[in-house]
Amino acid sequence: MTDRTASMKGKVALCAALILAPLFASGQESAADVARAERQAARFEKQSRVLTLFDRDGTLLTTVGERDVYAFPVLSPDGKRMAVVRNDVFNEISDIWVFDIESGDGTRITSHASWDLEWADSPLWSPDGSELAYIGLRQGYESVYRISADGEGSEELLYQHTGAEVWLGDWSTDGRYISMSMSNFGGGFLYVLPMTGTGERPAIELFHSDSELLAGSFSPDSRLLSYMSDESGIKEVYVRTVGPEVVSADKSNALSWQVSDQGGAFSIRAAWSPGSDELYYMAADQSIVAANVDGLSSSGAVSRTPLFRLSQAVRVNPDQINISRDGERVVIAVPPAPKLEQVTVFDREGTVLQRLGDPGIFRNATLSPDGKHVAVTTRMAETGNSDIWTFDLASGAHMPITDDEMHDNWPVWSPDSDKVAFRSERGMYSRIYHKAADGTGTEEAIFEYDPGAFLWVTDWSADGRYLTFSDGCWGVLYVVPLDGKQDGPERQAMEWLRDEYQVIQARFSPDSRYIAYLTDELVHDVFRINVAPFDPTHPDGRVEDATPVQVSADGVLGMLSWRGDGKEMYYLTKDWEVMAIDVTTTPVFEAGTPKLLFKLPGPLPGEPKQWKSVTSDGKRFVFVLYVPASIIEPL
Amino acid sequence: MRFSLRHCILLSMLFCTVLPVAAHHGMSALFDFNDRFSRTGTLTRLDWRNPHIYLFVEAEEADGHVQTWAFEGPTPVFFRNRDIASKSDFQDSIDKIVIVDASRARDGSFSGLIRSITLANGKFVPLCPDNC
Repeated sequence: MTDRTASMKGKVALCAALILAPLFASGQESAADVARAERQAARFEKQSRVLTLFDRDGTLLTTVGERDVYAFPVLSPDGKRMAVVRNDVFNEISDIWVFDIESGDGTRITSHASWDLEWADSPLWSPDGSELAYIGLRQGYESVYRISADGEGSEELLYQHTGAEVWLGDWSTDGRYISMSMSNFGGGFLYVLPMTGTGERPAIELFHSDSELLAGSFSPDSRLLSYMSDESGIKEVYVRTVGPEVVSADKSNALSWQVSDQGGAFSIRAAWSPGSDELYYMAADQSIVAANVDGLSSSGAVSRTPLFRLSQAVRVNPDQINISRDGERVVIAVPPAPKLEQVTVFDREGTVLQRLGDPGIFRNATLSPDGKHVAVTTRMAETGNSDIWTFDLASGAHMPITDDEMHDNWPVWSPDSDKVAFRSERGMYSRIYHKAADGTGTEEAIFEYDPGAFLWVTDWSADGRYLTFSDGCWGVLYVVPLDGKQDGPERQAMEWLRDEYQVIQARFSPDSRYIAYLTDELVHDVFRINVAPFDPTHPDGRVEDATPVQVSADGVLGMLSWRGDGKEMYYLTKDWEVMAIDVTTTPVFEAGTPKLLFKLPGPLPGEPKQWKSVTSDGKRFVFVLYVPASIIEPL
Repeated sequence: MRFSLRHCILLSMLFCTVLPVAAHHGMSALFDFNDRFSRTGTLTRLDWRNPHIYLFVEAEEADGHVQTWAFEGPTPVFFRNRDIASKSDFQDSIDKIVIVDASRARDGSFSGLIRSITLANGKFVPLCPDNC
């Protein structure tokens, strides 16, 4: 532990004491403090993983360190240590640690204050294993730093980046360069940073593209650079000539080849074999692939051999895997208990009636109004892409509604159960589409949101005239009129509710006179249900000066739904209790006392604030339950 | 925690291990993160509402004329969920001098995405990672 660490710990302890003193003095915690602690615990439960080392055949060799929220594990050149970003969700700090693989002992290398102010990521080992380079956020700048790998001494600023979205890729084996990338809607750039000398130095652009560029990785002879690009529309691994002098290479004559062939390959950095003849990466189906690239420069030929494949139960983000330089070891942050998921139908008493299809990855199960089908979002094992499926409750068979290279999600049924609306991302636009529920025909765009903005589709009114959605921040509830003068993506949304707090899951009453929604108006992230009137004659659908009716106590997770006759509502509490409450909408909205129907074996996968899990008659419910699964799948 | 806050948007919100409240915009669609600039001026107005807050700052340009800049910030929830600054901190800076460090709007308008702001009382408020 460095002096700097000790000093920071002292400051943190002092600050904590000052902050907590009034709480202890009063003997009470505020609702916000309790909510924050619950949020931290839930985050740890959901995101924590175990650093697990595999050999190239997929044999589990060992685990390293304690279960925690890790990112960017990187094996040292000699394979004996591992650098990793460790996110302390309870203290909300993020630091680089180095673990000794044999003993499991960890050393904290950086010491940051709150991750809202500063953090580090993208650690890289120097070729001799004596130093680490990383991206650090300091005073609003994402910059490149270097520090001794034993944590002694202070960090050295190498490059202050004035922009953002910068990532480190690789430290060349000759020690001369670090590769960096920067990608956003303006395109992608690959840079190198010379590593000789001390102090700040300029970054040198290797090349740029209109496409995303990531994860530059030097071949051991520094003649080639592998990288990821979505220039074909989907992410693939490419190799490009850079020449032994790298920065002085004639860029106009640079050659490049596509190495992966599945699309969606997204291992954050590919690894080269010592002889530069093999390249290792994780493919879209989560298989670890050894690609022979020996013949690239002569014939462009690539042969690919999958080494092993991770189960879909171990969903690996790009920052949760690293392949050693020799391709002999793979470290993966693995969930403590890998699970698949299964769509499951319950009755009103909580008895399981039916399990639909094989276990896979499913989210946002939504029952059709006629009670005959369930729409879900599913993650395709082969591509990692998300598509919309429907299940037929009578036969249990599934039907793909979308089968494309876009991420499609948030299915919502039309009131006649003939169509499914969903969100899909096309370029920088989120759009709402609908398509026939039997999968036939083509999708039709019915709304286009602001460029770059995310949206959550939440409801289709029973009269078929309106869709609702929330913006990506859960800050605004919109209503999209479907029968207005505008058509397709030209439609304009009505801004029904906008304020300073979060609002989500707008659900029309069956008579379309009211909208129920979740709000955390009083305490951040502690949601309750409110109901407020909808007036289609108002430009924004509001009833001015109307006071919302509070329907539930605080602590609602989601699954907000109405029964088809408008006389009962349903929701899920933070304790995974399925609740029902008698309501009426005539002459005005009134709500009774909530009653418990049954309790689920939570936590369940997905985002309950998106669920619409009840049949129109309120007799059946559908949820996605976890199913135990293995880490490795047979090839 | 950069990955979970930013790349969930780039990949797919749906299957990330966490579902944070994502940024309203993929901000680089509207703002050029490589065109970073700073303005010192008077905070004249604050629009503190979803999906993103707006600050209006009157600043003297190089030619001497005073230009009103519209600076976009994060969602109000960003401040509700953190201890770095509150709405009242910003309100107390109205009609006072602030320093805004921002990414310039791609459309050439007098607007930017705030990366950090130094309030009138000297408090430095970084808005990364949401706005970086």
